[in-house]
Amino acid sequence: MKARCSDLEQALRRGDPERVASIEEHARECAACRRVLEDWRRISAAAPGLKKSWDSPELWPRIRQALAAKSQTSDGRTAAPGAWSWLPAAAIVALFAVATAGLWVFRNTAGRDPLASHWQTKKPLLTEQAVEEVDAAEKAYLASIEKLSRLAGPRLADTSSPVIVNYREKLNLLDSAIVELKSSIDQNRFNTHLRKELLAVYGEKQRTLQNLMKEAKS
Amino acid sequence: MKSIALNLLGNVSDAEDAVQEAFLKVYRGAARFRGGSSLSTWIYRILVNTCYDFLRRSRRRAEAPLPSRFAAAEGNTSDHPLRLSIESAVRRLEPRERASFLLVEVEGFSHREAGEILEVSETTSRALLFRAKKRLRKSLGAAGNLAPVEAS
Repeated sequence: MKARCSDLEQALRRGDPERVASIEEHARECAACRRVLEDWRRISAAAPGLKKSWDSPELWPRIRQALAAKSQTSDGRTAAPGAWSWLPAAAIVALFAVATAGLWVFRNTAGRDPLASHWQTKKPLLTEQAVEEVDAAEKAYLASIEKLSRLAGPRLADTSSPVIVNYREKLNLLDSAIVELKSSIDQNRFNTHLRKELLAVYGEKQRTLQNLMKEAKS
Repeated sequence: MKSIALNLLGNVSDAEDAVQEAFLKVYRGAARFRGGSSLSTWIYRILVNTCYDFLRRSRRRAEAPLPSRFAAAEGNTSDHPLRLSIESAVRRLEPRERASFLLVEVEGFSHREAGEILEVSETTSRALLFRAKKRLRKSLGAAGNLAPVEAS
């Protein structure tokens, strides 16, 4: 069906490709509609330029401090309520940075993290023997995760299921947090807090894969 | 996140405060995240709602001019005057229309995602964007910022 001037608004409102194609056809012979379409495109083309970026060296450390303070005040009682109680504040910031602003934000601020120096100077350090035990626990987690990942692989490849897509997204975030934590641990493998965080994230990844497998069976 | 907060609120200080507040809300409200939407959509929803709260609390500051120290997204340099005009016109849009325009046209969310963030249907998201662009076109046209199209 041939479009008319009166179809223009509906086509633009719905964004339906068929209607738009039809109105474009009409616009070849109609200067008024052609002008509207051209304006519409120019606005869309210029819009991504409104995206801003600027350096906020104090923002992410500030957020981490606020989250850590919140986590510490409720430590042992109701820390990080609900679903993410397994995840310490610093790791949550890592996840959010990855999820929203991109990994570069975390990397840009990691070197200025006031909490990192706090952990390194104020928190008790692990003994050599304790480090070996933690290493062994991490290896056990990794072996289990590797096995589960192999089993979950085909299921995770299913892009048609929103639930699986969300599982995949969560696993990606956990992997990003693991990378960041391991990078911090490389600088001080005796840091109790970081090692506990990493074990917690490994544990959550293991549980997530197990839940995914259950989901696949049901 | 900072970019959308800045475009919604109009000044850096409020934008950064809103991002921080949104993070704390996400942390406190983590138990409510059930995977019904993607994690990033859920976080953006909290951010946009936080910005609305900021707008309600400080309408005057939203009218303050944007500082010029930001790096804009790459590209569109040839359309720079139009971009500046759009930036100014966007700030005069009604908040939900503004958010719709920013999410879809600036941040690149689909209407389904923008709808989830704004807690409206996909159809309503399309309608909000349509109204936003219609207003923008009118405003830019009145100011002579949209060049006439050559007649064929």
